[in-house]
Amino acid sequence: MIFLRRQLPLLITLVTGLLFAAQYYVPHPASEQMLTSATKWLQIVGGFALILGVTSLFHQHAVKIRRQEAGWGYSLVLYVGMLGTIAVGLWANGKESVEGTMTAFGWIYNYMMVPLQGTMFAILAFFIASAAYRSFRAKSREAAVLLVAAVIVMMGRVPLGEYLIPLSGDVSSWILNVLNSSVRRAILIGVSLGAVALSFKIIFGVERSYLGGGKE
Amino acid sequence: MSLSERMLKIDRRIIFLVIGLCTLLPLLYPVGLPIKISSEVRGVYDHIESLPEQSVFLLSIDFDPASKPELYPQAIALLRHAFRKHLRVVTMTLWVSGTGMADQLVTQVAKEMGKEYGTDYAFLGWSPGGQAVIINMGQDLYSAFPSDYSGKSTKDLPVLDGVRSLKDVGYMVSLGAGRPGVEEWYVFGKDKYKFDLGGGCTGVMAPGLYPLLRSGQINGLIGGLRGAAEYESLIGQKGKAVAGMDAQSATHLAIILLVIMCNLFYFSLRQQRG
Repeated sequence: MIFLRRQLPLLITLVTGLLFAAQYYVPHPASEQMLTSATKWLQIVGGFALILGVTSLFHQHAVKIRRQEAGWGYSLVLYVGMLGTIAVGLWANGKESVEGTMTAFGWIYNYMMVPLQGTMFAILAFFIASAAYRSFRAKSREAAVLLVAAVIVMMGRVPLGEYLIPLSGDVSSWILNVLNSSVRRAILIGVSLGAVALSFKIIFGVERSYLGGGKE
Repeated sequence: MSLSERMLKIDRRIIFLVIGLCTLLPLLYPVGLPIKISSEVRGVYDHIESLPEQSVFLLSIDFDPASKPELYPQAIALLRHAFRKHLRVVTMTLWVSGTGMADQLVTQVAKEMGKEYGTDYAFLGWSPGGQAVIINMGQDLYSAFPSDYSGKSTKDLPVLDGVRSLKDVGYMVSLGAGRPGVEEWYVFGKDKYKFDLGGGCTGVMAPGLYPLLRSGQINGLIGGLRGAAEYESLIGQKGKAVAGMDAQSATHLAIILLVIMCNLFYFSLRQQRG
């Protein structure tokens, strides 16, 4: 059992990890064919992950409803919404419209999901403005630098700002292209080196947390 | 309670009202301030301009309705430009929740430009796997998308004649609102399969993609509503993005004034307290 639970997954990780890292540098048709097959498998596994996600969501909210935990009414709405959408989606064969006529699934998508998602995102503008008023204060030198940079970029990114202060566009572009790019690049390089190190640790079995807990 | 204290604790509904008015009034009474074209947006425009007729242009609509106000106008402007240049337009999405919206978008613009499905353009739909789809398309496009969104075999689509993988794409633009998006198209697509890549994203995401732009990993970037407005100006077909720029201008100015006011009250309060 230990072999199946520990050693076999570690072996699979080691072999596939090294194989696919090497594959990138081998342009032989056999190597390319292996990648094609593997990505096909990945797509299939991706499809199953979707089923797993939906099942997990159903389970989590079913527990909430059964125990009548705080906010269980929302879980009920989620259940009704999800089951309803799945039912009409299957009925319409996943199509929003058939020969120019909108299906019930299309109606749910166009008149419920689209405006609801749009509203959620639009509300952010109001909260950001309120949060900026309350918290964007020059309490320290660093905060003051951040504040000035933000104001310049905000001015430079809209026609009115460029009209009022013509230089703001160029300064904003310089901040984004030079300061922002260099700092982000440094962060990206750091993160990427970390990812490479972590990948090696996983491939060689040093990092094993992905195997989960449980008895040996 | 002093004036500064009261102003710092102002009812947030007043701020909401200010932002609401700043958005609504310019939409009702547009001013139409001139929009300066940035080199980032011009990069995408110039590349499409340089493509010969019948080149394959792949547009990945990697967003859902939440980002529609910013990315929808970008997609419309790009599609209009590509159709006007008589490119073979292939569209797809990596975001399942954006599939219906992407289908409507492509159909609407194609109808407006008098293009025929299958011959001039195609919508491949969505396929599970995220970045695995990109790699799979790089290996064999027909394996990643055996059929298009309407269920037709992709091998039978004349628009895909001579296209086997991402290597045969003339230009590719990903309009991304997150992951998978522009970055994934670079890492898993362009880097290995060597095609020209451009990007479009929401305003908040744009600063994060500047390193890719500056290093030439993407040859252009359309950032947010401003980017869409610039593209609409470039193709000479002003739409929702240009109309929205006045509202965005007013809102930005309102936020700047609010921040300045809040700092003035903050420092005045600090001075009062010694």
